[in-house]
Amino acid sequence: MLEIKDLRASVEEDGKEILKGISLTVKPGEVHAIMGPNGSGKSTLANVIAGRDDYEVTGGSISLNGEDILEMDPDERAHEGVFMAFQYPVEIPGVSNTYFLRAAVNARLKAKGKDEIDAMSFMKMIRDKIKLLDLPQELLSRSVNEGFSGGEKKRNEIFQMAVLEPEVCVLDETDSGLDIDALKTVSDGVNALRSPDRMFVVVTHYQRLLEHIVPDFVHILMDGKIVKSGGKELALELEKHGYGWLEEELAASN
Amino acid sequence: MSSAVLTYPSDISSVLDAAKPVTVPSPWLDDLRAKGRESFLEQGLPTMKQEEWKYLSLRDIASRSWSASEPGPAVFDFDLPYVCPGSIRVQIVNGQFDRNASQVPAVKGLYVGSLASALSDHKAIVEEHLGSLASIDSHPFAALNTALFHDGVFIYLSRAAMIEPIIEIVHVACGSDQVSAPRVLVVAEEGASAKIVERYITDGETTSLTIPVTEAVIAQNACVEHIRVQDESTEACHIGLWESKQEGSSEYKAYNVAFGGKVARLDQNMSFTGEHSVARLDGVTAAGGTQIIDNHTRLDHAVPNCNSFEIYKQVVDGKATVVFNGKIFVHLDAQKTDAVQTNQTLLLSPDATINSKPQLEIFADDVKCTHGATVGQLEKDQLFYLMQRGINREEAEGLLVYAFAAEVLELISIDEVRDDLEARLYLKLN
Repeated sequence: MLEIKDLRASVEEDGKEILKGISLTVKPGEVHAIMGPNGSGKSTLANVIAGRDDYEVTGGSISLNGEDILEMDPDERAHEGVFMAFQYPVEIPGVSNTYFLRAAVNARLKAKGKDEIDAMSFMKMIRDKIKLLDLPQELLSRSVNEGFSGGEKKRNEIFQMAVLEPEVCVLDETDSGLDIDALKTVSDGVNALRSPDRMFVVVTHYQRLLEHIVPDFVHILMDGKIVKSGGKELALELEKHGYGWLEEELAASN
Repeated sequence: MSSAVLTYPSDISSVLDAAKPVTVPSPWLDDLRAKGRESFLEQGLPTMKQEEWKYLSLRDIASRSWSASEPGPAVFDFDLPYVCPGSIRVQIVNGQFDRNASQVPAVKGLYVGSLASALSDHKAIVEEHLGSLASIDSHPFAALNTALFHDGVFIYLSRAAMIEPIIEIVHVACGSDQVSAPRVLVVAEEGASAKIVERYITDGETTSLTIPVTEAVIAQNACVEHIRVQDESTEACHIGLWESKQEGSSEYKAYNVAFGGKVARLDQNMSFTGEHSVARLDGVTAAGGTQIIDNHTRLDHAVPNCNSFEIYKQVVDGKATVVFNGKIFVHLDAQKTDAVQTNQTLLLSPDATINSKPQLEIFADDVKCTHGATVGQLEKDQLFYLMQRGINREEAEGLLVYAFAAEVLELISIDEVRDDLEARLYLKLN
């Protein structure tokens, strides 16, 4: 179980507070969607969970299965099962996808005190999984994300997720910049990974992704706070009325 | 009135008096060596007041006492780095060709052997080319080499010869405070092709000074890949010159890998004398500790329609200093020249220094020339990306540094050499 309690975080550089007290509990098997307008703190939340040091956590806690992860480095969080699909996957020239993935898989195995995977089994595993994402095999031998199209980058993120089989999957605007075909492929990839013991936090600006990845819960984030939570129907309502509707509603209730 | 001190006082010229005679008497060579001697005495050891030596102090070299190198041992207590199976293996110790330790099977169209022997066996070709390229008057150490060398290796590819086995030359420097002057001459006749690996190493942590000169003459339609690896000890000094000339429609791929040396410098000069030729001159430098590694490159586009590609990548750690000076001259007649130069440096420590000086001089008006120099640190975003996938910081940093340099190493077409250099780089960085 992922438990976020009263989380506050600021930008490291200028101290500007972005997250102003967020509480969220994600249980195994659940998919939580985080929606909100630009600048509401959605991506910050995803990055703080993953441990990006551009942000400073000024209050609250994040725990995974009862263990505090805020003091952990990003790689240690990854060993605990945290995975983030990046909004802007990073290009790493000179490091092949295969080499990178094998290093990642082995790092996790090593952290769990297990033996490294042998090259044959590894290649078989990634060849099977790359088909799921409809990615060309040759991407495996190319440098990480280098020269990939926007859609290929996003599919590569989900492919990595499929290979690493994390416990907590944080998707940071995975649908942005995708056409409908890529959106379907990515969603199918995510849906194939849904399981009773896996948790998803899906950050998105648009409801359209949630037609394909149907969430159990939807949370609306505005100005660093969750202002409304509900079921999947909340996303539809939001789509129909826009964020303006919610702002008015909130203003009226204050 | 005071004037800038342009040379260091030094008794290094005393090694001239100990210059060994060549085993095969050659008045022609005596004359060449005399020119070298004269040129060296005229130039002396430049101080940092001289523009070409601005970032490399020769004070240490000038102040030490040197002796001319003695013949070294034939056997070493370590394996020499020959890495290609079935390769032609040349062992040169303190500038002298070791016939017994070398493995030079007969290959049709190829001569590989002692330069001293070639002075009589291949007199006409050697006399035509040896010393024809080395700019001794603008490089005191090349002048000194020319005064001192008494052997080396001659590689001759006859017309249309396609040489399959890789030619691996290993130069070993040994003996403390000795100056060795290895000499390499490569002549590729029309349409010939070969791959050459030239390595410089030391026998342990020796405090030698190696001053090699390599000349490569590439005739029309010839295609040569030449990898030069300087992996000497960080106690040794190494100052070399590598010069090449390409006739028309030829391809010369010259890679300079520099990992070693306390003070190391290479001047690499390449020129086109025939149209439609292609040259690569790429480099990887990795320096740490208090190493100083200086690379000067000069490319002369003297004729039209030639392409040159140059990528230099440098990794600098500790208190090390690296210098890159890349000159490209596009002469007035050299229309339709396409020249690309990139110089990238990764600084891994706040005390590391890079002096980067791209220098393009273009006199023709219909050319495509680009250059770029960047200096950076490891990318935070890349580091976070790798760590988010579970790779620890140390390993992620190593991977990024390695990937940075690998972009150049990947250009090398010989798998074994590439793998070996990648492994050496990895060792060097850790």
